[in-house]
Amino acid sequence: MPAIFTVDPRSGVPLYLQLIEQIKRAIALGTLAPGEQLPTVKALALELTVNPNTVARVYRELERDAVIDTSPGRGSFVRTDGAGHEARRAVADVARTAFEGAVREAKSLGLSRKETHELMARTIARWYETENDA
Amino acid sequence: MNAPLISITGLTKRYGSFTAVDDVSLDVAAGSICGLLGPNGAGKTTTFKCLLGFAKTSAGTIAIEGAPLSPATFETVAYVPERATLYDNLTIAEHLTVYRRSYKHYDDARARELLALFDLDPRQRAEKLSKGMRTAVALTLAFSIRPRVLILDEPSSGLDPIHQRHVLDLMIDAAANGAAVLFSSHQVGQVERAADSVAIMNKGRLIVNSVIDELKTGEKIIEAVFAGPIPNLNGLANDPNILRIEQVGSTLRAVTREDSDAIAQRIFALHPRSIRTIDLNLEEIFMNAVSRDQA
Repeated sequence: MPAIFTVDPRSGVPLYLQLIEQIKRAIALGTLAPGEQLPTVKALALELTVNPNTVARVYRELERDAVIDTSPGRGSFVRTDGAGHEARRAVADVARTAFEGAVREAKSLGLSRKETHELMARTIARWYETENDA
Repeated sequence: MNAPLISITGLTKRYGSFTAVDDVSLDVAAGSICGLLGPNGAGKTTTFKCLLGFAKTSAGTIAIEGAPLSPATFETVAYVPERATLYDNLTIAEHLTVYRRSYKHYDDARARELLALFDLDPRQRAEKLSKGMRTAVALTLAFSIRPRVLILDEPSSGLDPIHQRHVLDLMIDAAANGAAVLFSSHQVGQVERAADSVAIMNKGRLIVNSVIDELKTGEKIIEAVFAGPIPNLNGLANDPNILRIEQVGSTLRAVTREDSDAIAQRIFALHPRSIRTIDLNLEEIFMNAVSRDQA
C-alpha cells in the first residue's frame, strides 16, 4: 500500500479517529485509489503497533460511511462506486475538521466574530488568487 | 465483543486486617488487550496471583475460558511475573526443553524465533542473565506455548525500547489471533498503544474500567476565561457529566466525564471571553482518576 499512516497514541484524540481521518485523507489525495485493497486488521495493527480492535473499529466505521467495502474472506477495499463523490466528501470532512479547529482556536484566543471573519477573508484571499479560482 | 476469556467477579483478597484487593470485577474478551495501571501497592500483582490461583481469594470468583481454575487451565494460560522465575543452573535451551515436555501446544520453531527476536543466546545459563534478559526468556517461554490467555505483570521491565516494542507487537499479534491479554505496566504510553481497554486500580479498588477511545472521547477539560469575575454557574457543579470544577481568578476549568460539547455549550451561555476544549491523554486521565480517588 503506497499510503503511509502514523498515529500518535499519546494524543488526547482517540486513536480510531486519528486513523479514520488519515485514511479518508489518503483517499481524498489519491494515495489510496478506488478499488485498492487495505491491509488486514492484523497487518495494519502490527504495522502501527496499535490494538487490533481499534483497527477493526476504524474499518467498521469506514464501511458504515460507505468509504470502504469489506467482504469476509476477501478483505477491505476502497469503494469504486461513486469513489469521486466519497473522496470529495472525505476531503470536505478533513478540511472541515481543520477549519473548525482554526475557528475554535481563534475563539479561544478571544477574537470576536468580526475579527475571525476578517482573518478568514485575508487567508482565503492569500490562497485563492482570483474570484474564479476553483 | 466475544465472551470473556478472563472473568473476575467480586475478587477480594485480605491479609489479616489489610485488604489488598477490594471487590474487583474485570472481564477480558477474546481478541482484547486490557492494560492494568495503578500506583505501586494498588493491588495489581495480588490480583494476578489470585487470578492464577497462586494466592487464595478471600471472596469472589475467577473463570478462565468460562471455567474455574484447574490443572488444564494452565495448558492455555501464559503468565509472566514481574520477576521472571528461571532455573539458575539451566541454560536457555534447557528451559525450552522443560517447556517442550510440559506443554502440549509448545512450538519450538516459535520459541527459537522469539529468542532471536530478543537477541538471546540459547547456550547461556540463566544465572548469567540480566534482569531484562530474564524477562525476555520468560516472554519467549510464555508466547511459545501459543496461549489463549496471557497474563503479564510489567512485561517490559528492564527491556530496551526496541525489545519493549517487540513485546507490544507480540501482544497485538496474540490478540489478533484471538487471545485475551491482561497486562500491567507503569508505562502509560504502552497501554495507550497496545490496549483497547484500560483498568485503573488504586488502594485495592478498581476505579476505572473502560475502553480507552471512549475514555478519551468523554474526558476533556473545558477552559473558559471570563472578562470579569466568574458568574454564577447555575448548578453546573452538580452535572453528573462533570467530574471536577476549578476556578482560579477569571478562569474556569471543568473536567467532563461525557458529553463535553453539551457542557461547553452551557458554559458558553455564561458569555466567557474565550472557551476551548482540551483533549486529555491517558496519562492525564490516569493521574486525574487517582488524585480524585485520594481526595
